Amino acid sequence: MSTFTITTLNGVSYAFILFLLAAGFSLTFGVMGVLNLAHGALYVLGAYFGLAVISQLDQFWLGVVVAAAGTGLVGLGIYYFFLRHLYGKVPEQAVLTIGLGYAFANIILWIWGPFAKMGMTPSAFTGVVRVGDLAFPIYRLVIIAIGIIVLVFLWWMQDKTRVGAIIRAGMDNKEMTRSLGINYGVVSTLVFLFGAALAGFAGVLGTPILGAFPSMGDALLLLTLMVVVVGGTGYIQGTMLGALIIGLLDTFGKAYVPSVALFTAYVIFVVVLLVRPSGLIGRKVF
Amino acid sequence: MAALLEVENLSVHFGGLAAVKDVTFSIESGERLVMIGPNGAGKTTLFNLLTGQLRPSGGKVVFKGQDITHKPVFARTQLGMARSFQITSLFPNETVLTNALIALQGTRSGRYRLFGVFLRDKTLQKAARELLESIDLWDKRSEVVSSLAYGETRKLEMGLSLASSPDLLMLDEPSCGLTPTESADITERIRALGKKITVLMISHDMDLAFGVAERIILLHFGEISCEGSCDEIRANQTVKDIYMGSHKASTAGG
Amino acid sequence: MATQVRPGDLLLGRLTRKAVAAPAAPAEKRGAAALLKAWLPAIVILILLLVLPNFVPSYIQSLVTKMMIFALFGVSMNILWGYGGIPTFGHAAFFGFGGYVCGILIMHGGISNFWVNLLLVMVFTALLGAGLGVPAFRVYGVGASDNPIYFLLVTLAFGELLVRVAISARGLTGGSTGMSGIPYPDLGIPGVSINSASYYFLVLGIVVVCLLVIYRIVNSHYGYALRGIHDNERRMQALGYNTWLYKYTSYIIAGMFGGVAGCLFAYFGGVMIPGTMGMAMTDIVFLIVILGSASVYFGPVIGAIVVVGVEYLASVYVPERWPLIMAIIIVVVIMVIPQGIGVLLLNLWRKVSHGSAA
Repeated sequence: MSTFTITTLNGVSYAFILFLLAAGFSLTFGVMGVLNLAHGALYVLGAYFGLAVISQLDQFWLGVVVAAAGTGLVGLGIYYFFLRHLYGKVPEQAVLTIGLGYAFANIILWIWGPFAKMGMTPSAFTGVVRVGDLAFPIYRLVIIAIGIIVLVFLWWMQDKTRVGAIIRAGMDNKEMTRSLGINYGVVSTLVFLFGAALAGFAGVLGTPILGAFPSMGDALLLLTLMVVVVGGTGYIQGTMLGALIIGLLDTFGKAYVPSVALFTAYVIFVVVLLVRPSGLIGRKVF
Repeated sequence: MAALLEVENLSVHFGGLAAVKDVTFSIESGERLVMIGPNGAGKTTLFNLLTGQLRPSGGKVVFKGQDITHKPVFARTQLGMARSFQITSLFPNETVLTNALIALQGTRSGRYRLFGVFLRDKTLQKAARELLESIDLWDKRSEVVSSLAYGETRKLEMGLSLASSPDLLMLDEPSCGLTPTESADITERIRALGKKITVLMISHDMDLAFGVAERIILLHFGEISCEGSCDEIRANQTVKDIYMGSHKASTAGG
Repeated sequence: MATQVRPGDLLLGRLTRKAVAAPAAPAEKRGAAALLKAWLPAIVILILLLVLPNFVPSYIQSLVTKMMIFALFGVSMNILWGYGGIPTFGHAAFFGFGGYVCGILIMHGGISNFWVNLLLVMVFTALLGAGLGVPAFRVYGVGASDNPIYFLLVTLAFGELLVRVAISARGLTGGSTGMSGIPYPDLGIPGVSINSASYYFLVLGIVVVCLLVIYRIVNSHYGYALRGIHDNERRMQALGYNTWLYKYTSYIIAGMFGGVAGCLFAYFGGVMIPGTMGMAMTDIVFLIVILGSASVYFGPVIGAIVVVGVEYLASVYVPERWPLIMAIIIVVVIMVIPQGIGVLLLNLWRKVSHGSAA
């Protein structure tokens, strides 16, 4: 029973890291139809930026800010110099951003070396909360809390604000939105920046749990794709659902049936693809 | 004798809007039926339902005695249905000849052949020559479609839909965007089609409609408003109201 | 109006983006002389390749072997991308899978005969394509220029998925370190054994045969149907074509040839690692195709020569920095010469041969 509870907590906190990562991707991909396959690499960049600040200055939150801002800027660069000119040419965007992702991984390797790093939980959040004879790591609870805040914020933006309405309108009909005088270009750029920053944010927050090594971008991108396909794009609640499913399946799999750990998530991925290609809570595309 | 095409209570809804509502009609073999109606009446939507591009919310389509309501688009063509598109839909990067060859191959055996040289298929080349000569485009056969004049592309558009030697030819606004001379030309070509081909046509162009039709159906707000011969339709007050846009007509549809 | 098929067009292939005139009259047979002229570049290159080993050191010969393998890899992928317009981002999965099947059959299955092995690789890769193709094409809208993203992402995910499978199935695949020690093929001909030098000729033979077969396929009735689907899928359906079936079978066929390339690759290096099925390898093959021009049959061959060549130079002068170099090449190609250099070479060839004909 206690293993189950602990595994659930681990699964949910992992799911929230996945959510933060996938939300950024869902925004750029689902909202703008722009494909940034360097997204996984942005997570890793965020992790390394954050770790660099934290290990030098011992300031966790500063590290978080630097990570998010740094990856936001890198994302801005990717959009401004490349993706902006490749509008509609999706395979080209893919080839280019995949290449950039590997370039980033190589640069990280060059600067920080190949060995994995593990983040330290900030001193304020070390330790556990005891409930009965169960011990919940405080940091994981913090991750969940942060994740919920971001979820609520994005959900509110999506449903209740003018910006959210603009974005949703743009998803449906870009031309119309433009002709209504809305500067979609600025909105697009900001959305992209925000999505990239979220990836870096997830990266630095995840360092105490997932660690950081230069080539982890591929696995993370795969997880992101699965979350987005399972949950569906267009609605932030879809991304959350997808993250929960993938995150919990993966964690429970690893805890209870390690030999087939990875496959449960993959099976769900293929099943959803066959049965509901638009995702569980997705805008109906198929 | 059973009709070639029977449509029963065909409907389609988009959200709360019924784009096509309870449409019932039939076409006899060899007949010339023209559908008219103001913009947004649902004519192209109805076409899309008949050809399978769109799934109906209700109703039935029976072609040559077979229920084809849920058959995929390509299967209907194999059965003998063909259509042309209002917005010209050709292969813009290929030559006129290749366009014809591809169109002709669609309903012939051998279209899965992996090792023949397509461009040197003698049977296809002969059929393509006949097809292109019949629409006066044989001389332009080596031109890339994207460089053709608009009128020529409309001729090719119709030509491609004839490639499958259909029993039922469905033409969607064949004279769309054509000059009066070109429209008259298209009218003549359609009139010259033999009795073996049944024609169902959508047309905004009244000269074309009356020039071709044996029977006319007026579609309004997705429903059949009236039906009849050319003379009957010409005399019909509802038709006049709808086209003249009178107050009564726009509220009558409901 | 000039309607002759020009010399060299046959080899460099009909452009799917720009017009090359169709044959003038229906059943016109070209004379033997004209046919020779059309195939001249190919014949010249073939002869050069045959005599190459006499003039260059063995490491160059080895490099050219690798180029030929990747040329086949690229051309197989281009069936889908250049001709079908299908953005498959999991083609490396077939490449790596073919290599792994080859290695597994030898090391664990005890199958030493090259031809049996090759046949089985083709069978298994075709099965993989048949299996993956069903869910993959579920997310492929009609006229996928509207929705290429989903298919692209799903095929990408499949590739990465297979990488994880290979990492897990340690007993069979050697896990994350992969398989090594795959010997040179045994042709089953008594007295003939393959070494590095003679492997070059085996690869040359297989690749040439495969390229010829693929050439026939893309110029066949099936091939033109595929091109039609690329240009206007909706119209193809209206013309009676079962477009899904074409896309699905082309996915399997392309995957099969990709597997053959992977099999040759396994023998070449003697090593197979999970990464050969993943995103990086798919990116490489896409680069090869785009750089060489997807709209020209021979394009990926040119792309393979350039990419494999530069990779080799990078490994000599700036080892470990190849991903950066590759990213730079990708950026330059996509942002500056997106149509690829194959088209430029084709136009150059046209000028040269047109000049001599005049």
